[in-house]
Amino acid sequence: MTRKQLFLLLAAIFLTLLPAAAHLSGNPYLLSLASRILIYGLAAASLDLLLGYGAMISLGHAAYVGIGAYAVGILHLHLGAGDLPPALALLADSTASGLAILPLAVLAASLAALVIGALCLRTTGMHFIMITLAFAQMLYYFFISLEAYGGDDGLSLMSRSGLPLVNLDNDTHFYYFCLFCLVLFLYLASRLVHSRFGLILRGAGDNERRARGLGVNTGRYRLALFTIAGGSAGLAGALLANHSEFVSPGLLNWTLSGELMVMVLLGGIGTLFGPVVGAAVYLLLEEGLNMYTEHWMAYMGPLLVLAVLFARNGLFPLLISERRRHG
Amino acid sequence: MAEALLEVIGLNKSFGALLATNDLSLTVRQGEVHALIGPNGAGKTTLVNQLSGDLAADSGRIIFRGQDVTRLPAHRRARLGIARSFQITHIFENLTVAENLGLALLAGHGGNFHFFRHWRRAPRLEEQLTEALTRFDLLQHRDQPAASLSHGEKRQLEVGMALVVDPQLLILDEPMAGLGSGGTVELTRIIRRLKGQLTILLVEHDMDVVFSLADRITVLVYGHDIATGTPAEIRGNALVRQAYLGEEG
Repeated sequence: MTRKQLFLLLAAIFLTLLPAAAHLSGNPYLLSLASRILIYGLAAASLDLLLGYGAMISLGHAAYVGIGAYAVGILHLHLGAGDLPPALALLADSTASGLAILPLAVLAASLAALVIGALCLRTTGMHFIMITLAFAQMLYYFFISLEAYGGDDGLSLMSRSGLPLVNLDNDTHFYYFCLFCLVLFLYLASRLVHSRFGLILRGAGDNERRARGLGVNTGRYRLALFTIAGGSAGLAGALLANHSEFVSPGLLNWTLSGELMVMVLLGGIGTLFGPVVGAAVYLLLEEGLNMYTEHWMAYMGPLLVLAVLFARNGLFPLLISERRRHG
Repeated sequence: MAEALLEVIGLNKSFGALLATNDLSLTVRQGEVHALIGPNGAGKTTLVNQLSGDLAADSGRIIFRGQDVTRLPAHRRARLGIARSFQITHIFENLTVAENLGLALLAGHGGNFHFFRHWRRAPRLEEQLTEALTRFDLLQHRDQPAASLSHGEKRQLEVGMALVVDPQLLILDEPMAGLGSGGTVELTRIIRRLKGQLTILLVEHDMDVVFSLADRITVLVYGHDIATGTPAEIRGNALVRQAYLGEEG
């Protein structure tokens, strides 16, 4: 068994037993924090597909998280008001609304990523960073001005999405559902990066000219990956909306894009699992420092600088004592 | 006389006031090793970039296998059978040797939107890969990152990646650059073995290599083809001597 497998096994055991431990120790609020970590981990890992494997430095990943969240918020609003268009009538069954709402959220985020990606991918390097940021900020201001859906104040959900077999309103069920989504994503994503599609993408990220010289239409592969990453971020957004039962334009702001990027770098770029570790460390630090001072950012900054200095490739490669695999 | 595989007709490319390619015409015949020589700054690499599609020509035409490819992007030309190596080694440094060659093989097939199965499980790939690794003497390095290869091995890998897809035309842009004498001998041997199997356009500074390998030589000066002929003809050409060989020797 390699160190990596051992680490993943221990992490799986820990995460499976966590709800029981939280209840036994009388700290059920930990479960809510843990769910949030899993969701941010999912969002950060989806960004890692772009940063670590596709060499696409997107500074607008929050847009897709936000669209996923707003899709949930908007559908729930109409569900509550009972004025859904007939095509979406099956949503009305509140015990199974999630079966339609969650896929629709992923679809909406994927479509947005497809359109925005098609435009952004005409540029490279610094221009790509700026244009992804610009589109995300445009959407941020769009949702701020969207008075029908709360505008600046955001939108509250009456309840969480309904699913058969699991009751998302129960925090333990919700936690396991987030864990399920994250594990499923990590499994599919690690298959993806070693598939034919993934090999071509890693090559194109490594040396674009060489890839084109071999006959690869790199743009199409990049756009497909951008769409996949956007859809996955949309799922994270949908979960986040359900988690806090609230959506606001802040989810689309560039600060979230930046936080996700920090999580990826902190945990280890190009490792998929690393960003989840990064999300855990980031959110735990935030939570921990927040208990002592409201100026937690002032302490977080130096800690992140130290982490980057002493774990240049991120925490995950350090944990499994492995040198840089891919970048 | 052999058929023309590649025809360049009246090609022009300028960068600002600099005419890098100046009314250049050239015919590469099927099955030959055609060398391109010229002093530094003669526009050899600029021409190669226009042939491969990495750079767009200002005017003129490029005909490959009877088809006008002047406006086709690089990846479409690669699919038609134009393979190139670069002056500075261009390989996928962060991928393993096997992944480099595997990618070259798969890119030639197209249709790589397979997201789940491991790339090595692609139909018939394993045997092609092993064959390629053996052919280019890289079998013992298969799972090593390409970045860890020696300079000569990287060149071998690069040429290998260009060749695994059985291209019609192989463009080698200064393949000997930076190689020691041992590496030059080795690569000359590989190219000689390829002679007759495919057409090669060879851009090279090393005159010993050029005159020992080429069937035909074109001399470029200031982006224009001043002479084309067999090695013997080029050696005897007064214009070429004056413009180029004289300065060197």
